[in-house]
Amino acid sequence: MLYLTLASKAYARNLQYRGAHMVHNLASAMFGYMYACLWIGIGADHQLGEYGVQGMISYIAFTQASLWISGFLTNGLGIPLSVRTGQIALDLMRPVHLFTHLMAREWGQIAYQFVYKSLPIYLLYSIVFSLKWPSEAWTLGYAALALAGAAYLSICMNYIIGVTSMWTTESSWLHWANHALMNLMAGFFIPLEWLPKWLEQLAWLSPYPFLLYVPTRIYLGFEDGSLLWGTLLWCVVMTLICLALTQVLRRKVEVQGG
Amino acid sequence: MKPISWFHLYKILIRTSIRSRMQYKFNFVLGAILAALIQISEFLMVALVLHKFGAIKGWSLHEIGYLFAIMTLSKTLYRTFGNEVHHLEKYLVGGELDQLLTRPMPVLLALMPQNFRIMIGEVLQGGFILCWSLAGMMHSGQIGWTVVPFSLFVIVTGAIILFSIGLATATLGFWTTRIEELQVITEDAARTAAQYPLTLYPKWMSSLLLTAIPVGFVNYIPSLYLLRGEGGAWVLAVIAAVAVICLAASLRFWTFGMTKYQSTGS
Repeated sequence: MLYLTLASKAYARNLQYRGAHMVHNLASAMFGYMYACLWIGIGADHQLGEYGVQGMISYIAFTQASLWISGFLTNGLGIPLSVRTGQIALDLMRPVHLFTHLMAREWGQIAYQFVYKSLPIYLLYSIVFSLKWPSEAWTLGYAALALAGAAYLSICMNYIIGVTSMWTTESSWLHWANHALMNLMAGFFIPLEWLPKWLEQLAWLSPYPFLLYVPTRIYLGFEDGSLLWGTLLWCVVMTLICLALTQVLRRKVEVQGG
Repeated sequence: MKPISWFHLYKILIRTSIRSRMQYKFNFVLGAILAALIQISEFLMVALVLHKFGAIKGWSLHEIGYLFAIMTLSKTLYRTFGNEVHHLEKYLVGGELDQLLTRPMPVLLALMPQNFRIMIGEVLQGGFILCWSLAGMMHSGQIGWTVVPFSLFVIVTGAIILFSIGLATATLGFWTTRIEELQVITEDAARTAAQYPLTLYPKWMSSLLLTAIPVGFVNYIPSLYLLRGEGGAWVLAVIAAVAVICLAASLRFWTFGMTKYQSTGS
């Protein structure tokens, strides 16, 4: 119940800025539009594998909309900021586990972004590019599962990034490195099978493909649900890392400001 | 005050800003490395696609690298001097602009040196891609040495155009207070679009990028002449003219906007 309240408060807080976010959606949609134009340009002279031009447009549309679920989360779940202000000391004193507390808040944020960012952006693309929606219910169901898993993975990764700020005071560099890796290894813009072999193999050893590539492939009907096992495995691994890190960090806390 | 003493004052303010920045050396170095890393990952994304497919609409990897590098370096030059113009929202929302208004100097001159940003990461990355693409094209005989000085010229005119777009967008903040969302469209999205040949886009969009938001003049139009020999030397004159017109228009708009300023305070 507490977690639900935390999540719904985070959702409600965002509702205040709906207007501004809609303008931002337009900008975000423009980026996707540009990337789609790039693929249309490439597709004019080359075969685009099993996707084809229309398939690549659908691919870009879906990854661009999914970014708001598994890409653009609160930087470090807000931990770096609370380390700087000293708020972290209070957060650790609460009778709630830090990880689940922050996670509940972030789920509210993601729910908001799904309704007010992902959906409008995808609807816009659906109209502009006349995209086809999956006809089978199980495709949608698996894609939803894959996206939920991706959101959870991303929460864990941001938690880990945030927690490092306890020792380094500056975790924005990890945040940016994460962003750079996401560009290259999550299948945003370029499907993984078109990467150089070594980079593709490297990517599959990391959780990044499960953030965007896997949900998109499932949604487009190129995969059945078997890749979801990979998502599940990474979710378990990440959860263990997050819990272990929290254990360590509870031992000694140094706060900066006040 | 004479222009010469304005310039002197500007130099002093910039020196102060650099000195305050250097109080956090570690942060500065780390930030620079990361900026280069992010930028390179962005270019790698496109380079990987070109590596796989060869060319996009007849534009080779070297040519697209050139478009990319000119845009990066122009943006870097603009943000080095005009970073606070881009961050005007902070001053509008927090009411800090009021303080600047009380100074006995033009507001823009007081605003710009507030944070003189040294962007080594971007210079390194942009410079590297520029040298690499120029060397590649010289090697294949596509271009000659003359392109090098012209490229430097184009970077400066490009910075002026980007500054003008930034200033005009910031000026709208005098009416709307919040400008960040708008900036994502007029600055970030437009700039990203012009990193690729404009022929990729539908007619309405490419003409928009050459008129309302003239980012096309930063790198695309110069490249048509410098790399592909389309048009003549007059192209460079046109680009310089566009830069001057943009700057004059945006400065006028800024002066007009200032008269409409209402403090939000807090």
